[in-house]
Amino acid sequence: MKPTVLYRVAGAIAVVILLVIPLASSELGGLGPLVLSSYFMHLAITAFFYAILASSWSLLAGYAGQFSFGHMAFMAIGGYTSGLIGKFIRFTTAPSELCTDIPLLGNWWLVVLNIRRVGTIDESCLDMAKTETLPAGTLIVFPPVWASIAMGLVMGAIFGLLVGWLVLRLRSTYLALFTIGFSEIMRASISAEIPITEGQSGLELVPLFPGGLLGFTSTSKIPPYYAMLLLFLVAMAMMTWLAGSRFGLFIRAIREDEEAAAALGVNIVRYKVLVFVITSTLAAAAGALQFHYIGIITPNTLIILQMSLVIAMAVIGGLENIYTASVGAIVITFVLELLRTNITIGPLHVDMTLWRLVFFGLLLMLTLRFQRNGLLFPILERINRGGVAAETVSIRAAPTDEEEEGEETNPPSSSEENATVEKEAESNDVESDR
Amino acid sequence: MLNLTANNIFKNFGGLEVLKDVSFTVEGPELIGLIGPNGAGKTTLTNILDGALKPSSGTVYMNGERIDTRPPYGVARAGLGRTFQVTRAFRRMTVLENLLIPAMAMRATARQRDFEEKAQEVLEFLTIAHLRNEYARALSGGQQKLLELGRLLMLDPQMIILDEPFAGVHPRLMEVIYRYITETNAEGKAFIIISHDMDTIFTLSRRLLVLNYGDLIADGDPEVVREDPLVKAAYLGEDEE
Repeated sequence: MKPTVLYRVAGAIAVVILLVIPLASSELGGLGPLVLSSYFMHLAITAFFYAILASSWSLLAGYAGQFSFGHMAFMAIGGYTSGLIGKFIRFTTAPSELCTDIPLLGNWWLVVLNIRRVGTIDESCLDMAKTETLPAGTLIVFPPVWASIAMGLVMGAIFGLLVGWLVLRLRSTYLALFTIGFSEIMRASISAEIPITEGQSGLELVPLFPGGLLGFTSTSKIPPYYAMLLLFLVAMAMMTWLAGSRFGLFIRAIREDEEAAAALGVNIVRYKVLVFVITSTLAAAAGALQFHYIGIITPNTLIILQMSLVIAMAVIGGLENIYTASVGAIVITFVLELLRTNITIGPLHVDMTLWRLVFFGLLLMLTLRFQRNGLLFPILERINRGGVAAETVSIRAAPTDEEEEGEETNPPSSSEENATVEKEAESNDVESDR
Repeated sequence: MLNLTANNIFKNFGGLEVLKDVSFTVEGPELIGLIGPNGAGKTTLTNILDGALKPSSGTVYMNGERIDTRPPYGVARAGLGRTFQVTRAFRRMTVLENLLIPAMAMRATARQRDFEEKAQEVLEFLTIAHLRNEYARALSGGQQKLLELGRLLMLDPQMIILDEPFAGVHPRLMEVIYRYITETNAEGKAFIIISHDMDTIFTLSRRLLVLNYGDLIADGDPEVVREDPLVKAAYLGEDEE
């Protein structure tokens, strides 16, 4: 079976399994003996969230060679933008007079809530307007969640464009340090601006489906599961298309050698900025969706440990492939939860809630030492390139047209030379660096 | 017909004057050798022509358009291709992918399969067709040099600058590179070849430029340049008569 056919079949089976998983959830009564708890469904949603982050970071770092540590900052930009819109924006059928009112079509107004301090209490201007200025019967409408999430994406793209442009000339360590700085600035700003972001207390977000969906309540895991799965599948489809297009070819060339790529006509500025914008937008989308599902976002989502977790997921799965990175993220999300089970051996009691991260760190170190391309990527490589060495040997050994016509040519003909070619091809297969 | 004109190029790195008032013109499919001792400014001149470096002063025009203000990709699209002194294949990409990049970069709407046939012809010409699906990192140093030359055939520029194309190459691959230069030149492409291999450069080129510590000290027929007292003193190791 050709690798492409194999992948399509495997991909289709995986999608079907992911689509039917909720049927086995306890909410829907389970599927025969298989009953998946609500906690399992929560883990699955979280796994998709991390899979989007790890795979988009893989596109940025593994394909384009841009080792950014700011990916979680873009994720948080998506979450906070969406949350802040929910907190500060309302639509009304009359001007509030006390808030910032922007006229829209018809009788509608966009109201930006500003915080008024009354004595020692912060009070929303709209709450005050309800009793003081708004006529009776005025409609007050929250912005739709999907629109808030869309704005989160837009903000992620804008920041991606800005950071992508700023880091154009930075490479390796400098790029990493810059993006760590950017991430820390974001975290510190969010922590400091308590009146806006609620600081460390966390910004509350309205549920993903405030009124429920198709008979499921707003706290059900089933609609968020499908929402996150949909985003994951759309993100993977988009990145697959990009990776297989001229975009994918050019960003890999930039990863290998920027100057050589530019000398061959590749507009490296355009593609470096583009890859930042695309991956930042995906991270922002994942963040916005996830925190509407969780219901609260705090600055701790930006800490370096969270970024390290995403990097580790991508590295352990295989950094240079969006699929291995995403599978790595899904597997590790579940494994980290499984590792919470405490171990007791005789008098020895191991608190795994603390020690699991040590095991995880060890796995990361061993992967980097012995399987630099991750645990899954080499398997894909073996499937993809299994026949390359044999093909190289067979093409080299095949007589050319000229040889067949008996003309004088120089290609290797002695068995000794062909043996050398075969040896070369074998060494090529194990990707030797000459 | 190709016309490349470098006018009064100066390049300083801090207090170091690497190029001093270098001017020359390339008309049509010339085959030019560029020689000079280490530190003469050959690679700096190449980087300026290619757009990788901006001159401190001076201009470069190609077919009437100023190219010294363009980024390298703009210069490549204007019709100037180059190789590097140290081979710079895209090592974790296949040989075929290496070839497709310049071809696709030149056409905004092109797809990979549009160029696979041409890539195959290029690989056969360079005698590395059997390696098309191997990663470039698996190739020997000489084969990687051939791959770089192949990428230029896919870029299809009007003018090609080769920086040390014969350095560290097995004689059999050297023959292939020699054939590449002569046949591609016969098809109408101009060449500037930087090399320390004096025998080859004198045999191959029909015009010789000699740089010495930033000064262009000779420009002309190789046999005439060989006898130039300044060149003898500066580069060929003989005293000025």
